[in-house]
Amino acid sequence: MAAINPLSNPKGVKLQCELCNSPAHLQCSACKVTYYCDSDHQQADWVSIHEKICQLLIPLRITQPFSSSAEERSHSLEQLLLRKKHLIDLTLKEAQKHLYGGRHADVIPAAMHSLSFTIDVFGLATVELVPAYLILAEANIGLGHLPQAEEYLSQAYWTVLKTTDCSNAIRSKLHRNLGLLYSAKGEFEESLRHFSNDVYFASETAGTNHMSVTGGYFHMANIFFRQNKMDIADSLYTEVTDIWHAHLSKLLNVHVNESSRSMSSLEKDQENLDENQEAEALQILSAICDIREQAPKKDPAKIMHILHTLTMLHFIAMDWPKAEEFGKKLLLTTQQLPEEKISDDIAILLRLIELKCTAK
Amino acid sequence: MSAVPAMPRQSLQRFPSLVHQRKVPAQPKELPQKANYKIHLIRDRGVRDHNQQKNIKELSKEETAIYRNSLKNNICIEMLRKGYHKSFSEVYTVIQRWDALRDAAGPGSAIWHQKPLEEQQEKLDQLQHFLTRAEAAQRAGYYEEVYENQLALAQYFQEVGDDWLSYHFFECCFQTATKIKMDGGRKEAEAHSNIGSVEEEHGQLEKAAEHYEAFYHLTVGRIWKDETGRSHNSLACENLWRIYTLQSDKMLANKECQQAIKTLIKAFDMAREGGNKKLEGEAAYRLGLAHISSGNPQTAITYLNTYMEISKMLEDNVSLGKAYKAMAKALESQGKILESVEYLENFIKIAKLNNLNQSLAETYSCLGDIFNTRGNYEKACQYFSKAYETALSLSELALIEEAQVQYGIAKAHEMMLTVSKLTDSADCASVGHLLTWKMNRSDIFGDPAKPDKLISMQDTKDGDKSIAIMETPDIPENETSTEPVTAS
Repeated sequence: MAAINPLSNPKGVKLQCELCNSPAHLQCSACKVTYYCDSDHQQADWVSIHEKICQLLIPLRITQPFSSSAEERSHSLEQLLLRKKHLIDLTLKEAQKHLYGGRHADVIPAAMHSLSFTIDVFGLATVELVPAYLILAEANIGLGHLPQAEEYLSQAYWTVLKTTDCSNAIRSKLHRNLGLLYSAKGEFEESLRHFSNDVYFASETAGTNHMSVTGGYFHMANIFFRQNKMDIADSLYTEVTDIWHAHLSKLLNVHVNESSRSMSSLEKDQENLDENQEAEALQILSAICDIREQAPKKDPAKIMHILHTLTMLHFIAMDWPKAEEFGKKLLLTTQQLPEEKISDDIAILLRLIELKCTAK
Repeated sequence: MSAVPAMPRQSLQRFPSLVHQRKVPAQPKELPQKANYKIHLIRDRGVRDHNQQKNIKELSKEETAIYRNSLKNNICIEMLRKGYHKSFSEVYTVIQRWDALRDAAGPGSAIWHQKPLEEQQEKLDQLQHFLTRAEAAQRAGYYEEVYENQLALAQYFQEVGDDWLSYHFFECCFQTATKIKMDGGRKEAEAHSNIGSVEEEHGQLEKAAEHYEAFYHLTVGRIWKDETGRSHNSLACENLWRIYTLQSDKMLANKECQQAIKTLIKAFDMAREGGNKKLEGEAAYRLGLAHISSGNPQTAITYLNTYMEISKMLEDNVSLGKAYKAMAKALESQGKILESVEYLENFIKIAKLNNLNQSLAETYSCLGDIFNTRGNYEKACQYFSKAYETALSLSELALIEEAQVQYGIAKAHEMMLTVSKLTDSADCASVGHLLTWKMNRSDIFGDPAKPDKLISMQDTKDGDKSIAIMETPDIPENETSTEPVTAS
């Protein structure tokens, strides 16, 4: 960290803060190409993204030496473009990670970087901007800056409307964020409309029984829950649980078959559920579990169903202690059921968990 | 059994009207001079009329979405935002299945040229309407209502002619019906009957029979009635009777007589249980026919007797005639010609009484046939000529022609006898007879031993008939070919 004085800058050179574009007083001593107005902003940027991209920024920000042949010049331009694209990916991924970790404040610098690089590479009116907008909006919703979020989302919405070849996955994501925004603002009808769109586009990509639609269903259910339309909410929660239950059972079956053949190949099988999906599943299913357990009129069959799903999720995520904890709960609930019979699936799962825990 | 609720109208208007009807506020007439002048100035600058601009309604986001998106999209969103996710996935999968069917059929097939389901607004509206209603009822736990809505949907698609869709929803009905426990299985029975009738339409007789049997077992001993006041059980019996009869027809066509008879006996039992005498008779008749064709006339006769009694009781002369005819056939195959003839003559009496010319003609030719094969050509001729006359009065060309040919054949047989007798005797008188016949080819040819026959032959006044007569006896002409040469 080196202090600089704006007055001593060379003529015509204005050094600006990386985050807020005001005159800079500090310079990052590692890369020497990044400036900040004060140490707070430097700290925020460092935590969010600068630590990861500090060295990568150097080739982008120092002037390239002039090469004499056209071939070399075009080659270096190509190199530059590749570097930028790499940075876009990296920053976006980091932002996403912060988002799933719930560190909304840390998301924004990373996402802003991603946005500015994207604009640099692709221009102002392209679909590529949308993911960055969406992440920014989500972070802002998380921070409670609704007008900001709305602005980003409107930008994103407009971009999507203008481009015809936008993928359904992006559309679905956009509508989910719009839905979240309106539900945060309390405009339930509008928010339901957007969640419906989310579900529709998610179904377009993967069918109505894919887990990618569960997010939309879940948020819709929450709105109906808040509107006190319990029967609809209940039916939607059941649907979400069913979809996850089916999906996780399938994964688990693959798992069991694998492990019966050879125990060592068990570790390879983890790619089935990526980090994001896992985080989403955990969030959704835990919420449903809480709702079921706190319902005034408890339905043991439903509680058992959701507990079973959650146990499977923890098992597949290889979170053994949690899996064991939920397994015990599950066992308790099944004993409450009138027909004192544990289904085969549950029995197998519980035995597997026991095996894992003793192995540890 | 059909409960179609009132015809729904789409809740979602395809396009909201763009022009918002609003009255243009009248210009205040008397303004102070200055103000008037100002307005005039503004107008001159080209900002023509503010009121006109306001005339166009601002569209809400929803309405713009309706314009922008596809019909399928709009309908799906409409359902989802009200929380009808099951209806949504149902519609979605139905559309997907339609597309899959279309792809499977390939270009050039009928379905390829149809408008895609997702563009047929009427059908999508129906789907939306009934499915959402069904889902709402399901949430509330009213399975009867779910059932009714699904049934309405199935019936709608049946009317429109989308077979697999209607079948799909009939199956849904069935699934729902199994959940309705309150009414003792009435809805389940109805669902069975519906699926049965669809299967029957598709020609899946075995499956149809299965469903109808289930329907029958569920309705045995119940007093359920449909809205026309018919009891379900009798309906089941009638349906089963029909299926069994169809099945037996197929078996008979494949020459599986024993199987067919077994099935027909089942049909007969059903008809008897259903208490419908007419069907019972019909079943008995078919059983009789099946027994005749399997070469068991004695059993056939007992069944035919039943049929006859029932027909007499119902005073149904057409079926009585059918009974007599079948009976005659059975007796004939047993060799009891006399009795057979008796039955046929019985029938003729009835037919004459009731003006049943069609069957009368048939019976005449049937009788003629019998006599013809028995060698009693004279009688055969008589009957055939009667058949011909009846056919004439019916003025039915096929029948007339048939009668002509038959009459010709019989006549030829009859003349054959005399001609060959004359040729065999070969004396002067006979040769003379032959020659005279040969010369004028009229009916005065005959045997002195049978003068009466000559007279009876003169009855034939019709030109057509005499051609038929003269063309058929080729053989006698050839036999006597030596004489005509010398004579000419």
